[in-house]
Amino acid sequence: MRKAMVLFACLFVATAWASESGGHGEGNEPSVPDYILHHVADTNDFELEVPLSHPIHLGAIPPIRIGSCAPVMTDHGLQAPTGWPGLMAGCLDLSITKHTVMMWLAALLLIGTILIWSNRDKTKMVPRGTGANLIEMLVLFIRDEMAIKNIGKEDGPRYVPYLLTAFFFILFMNLLGLVPWMATATGNLAVTAGLALCTFFVTQAAGIRSAGLGGYLKHLTGGVHWTLWIIMVPVEILGLISKPFALTMRLFANMLAGHIVLFFLIGLIFILGHPAVAAVSVPFAFAIYLLELFVAFVQAYVFTLLSALFIGMAVATGHHHDDHGHADDHGHGHSELGPSHDHGKAHA
Amino acid sequence: MFLPNVLAASSLVSVQPGLIFWTLVTFIIVFFVLKAKAWGPILQLVEEREKQISAAIESAKRERAEAEKLLADQKTAISEARRQAAEETRRNQQEMEKFREELMAKSRKEAEELKLSARREIDEQKTKAIAEVRAMAVDLAMEVAGKLMSERMDDSKHRALAEQFVKGLPLSGSGNAGVRRSA
Repeated sequence: MRKAMVLFACLFVATAWASESGGHGEGNEPSVPDYILHHVADTNDFELEVPLSHPIHLGAIPPIRIGSCAPVMTDHGLQAPTGWPGLMAGCLDLSITKHTVMMWLAALLLIGTILIWSNRDKTKMVPRGTGANLIEMLVLFIRDEMAIKNIGKEDGPRYVPYLLTAFFFILFMNLLGLVPWMATATGNLAVTAGLALCTFFVTQAAGIRSAGLGGYLKHLTGGVHWTLWIIMVPVEILGLISKPFALTMRLFANMLAGHIVLFFLIGLIFILGHPAVAAVSVPFAFAIYLLELFVAFVQAYVFTLLSALFIGMAVATGHHHDDHGHADDHGHGHSELGPSHDHGKAHA
Repeated sequence: MFLPNVLAASSLVSVQPGLIFWTLVTFIIVFFVLKAKAWGPILQLVEEREKQISAAIESAKRERAEAEKLLADQKTAISEARRQAAEETRRNQQEMEKFREELMAKSRKEAEELKLSARREIDEQKTKAIAEVRAMAVDLAMEVAGKLMSERMDDSKHRALAEQFVKGLPLSGSGNAGVRRSA
């Protein structure tokens, strides 16, 4: 939550400063907030930033659109519809943007790293070497500490591959964003929403699998008298949606806010206009960078842990959905959510 | 000038459906590739290892219990054997003692018997010898007396006299002395 407050404060300062500095009419030199917003935003333009010089334009991937994409009139002229309005109009914008490329890069790095490190003598029971041991340690940690503890000994192992993939994929995207010239795919709402959707689907599938379709639907009614369903069902559905929504916002806000803070600390030098500011802001930025490295791991961990929790709750509905277990589930869920929020606060 | 920045900032929180689509596709591909190539084999290996370890621990426990049982058996067997050996020794000693005592008693009895028979023999011989000596003494006395009296004495009369004399002699050695004195 603190992360989100920092984010919005930064956005506010950015807009305020931009409106002020823009008033001075500095020509086509971008202001610091403009630069930061440009940097963390998703575009299909690729630039290589060069120190002490203008960025080199690497070119743009032409937008890919599927469906009836007749150009419509916008503020910027005649353009093909994008985003949700475009989707409503029957045009799916599948443009390959900076964050898409970063995501693919992270995916390739992830697959490459895991395949190389997990490639060992399969006839031997015990791993040899740092990579194989590290992977096995993380696999065992996620299996024992997340899946089995939160989902249960019976159903836990089934969801381990999903949790492992989520953890490593998010971790690699987070870490890739910390490499110079790269961008943070997890600092984009669409990416985190996509990941949270995966968890949402897996959670619902787990619920249906454990309770059966009837039990799952019955759970949605909250076990109250049918006359109250009109109130209960929307509340339950809201409860279902709020979980992935929390996942989406948490990961997005944490990754984006970290980068904005980092850039702002460096940007202070230019905002205040004196090189001496660097003596303060560079060490600070360095500290924030280290913190961001830690946050990259923590956020991957939190996302995975919460996914495991949600799956565990869904599995639990199947095990005692016919008695008063409904209230139990929610109480259980809240009590379990407590420490993970603390995780979020600890680094914020 | 405020508005474009707000719009730029709002682009941060806008959600592009295309990117959601790409995220889902990428995630699913990554998931299946890693599941098939990495997580599956690793988890299988780990499970197999855990099974082996628990089996090894189980069998070690069982073998240990078995070994302990065997050890206890051995211990009881050894103590039993020791007890038996002690018993045997004790019995042997008793038997030996008994045998020795029997042997001693037997030999003592035999010695006693031997002594008794020897004494009897001696007594017999002694009586015989005494009788002989008496007869000889009578003959001798008769001969001496006959020679001395040169046929004046009736043979039977003298003999009876001599016998009477001899009878008056004591039976033991002092008798001999008497015979000698009378002779």
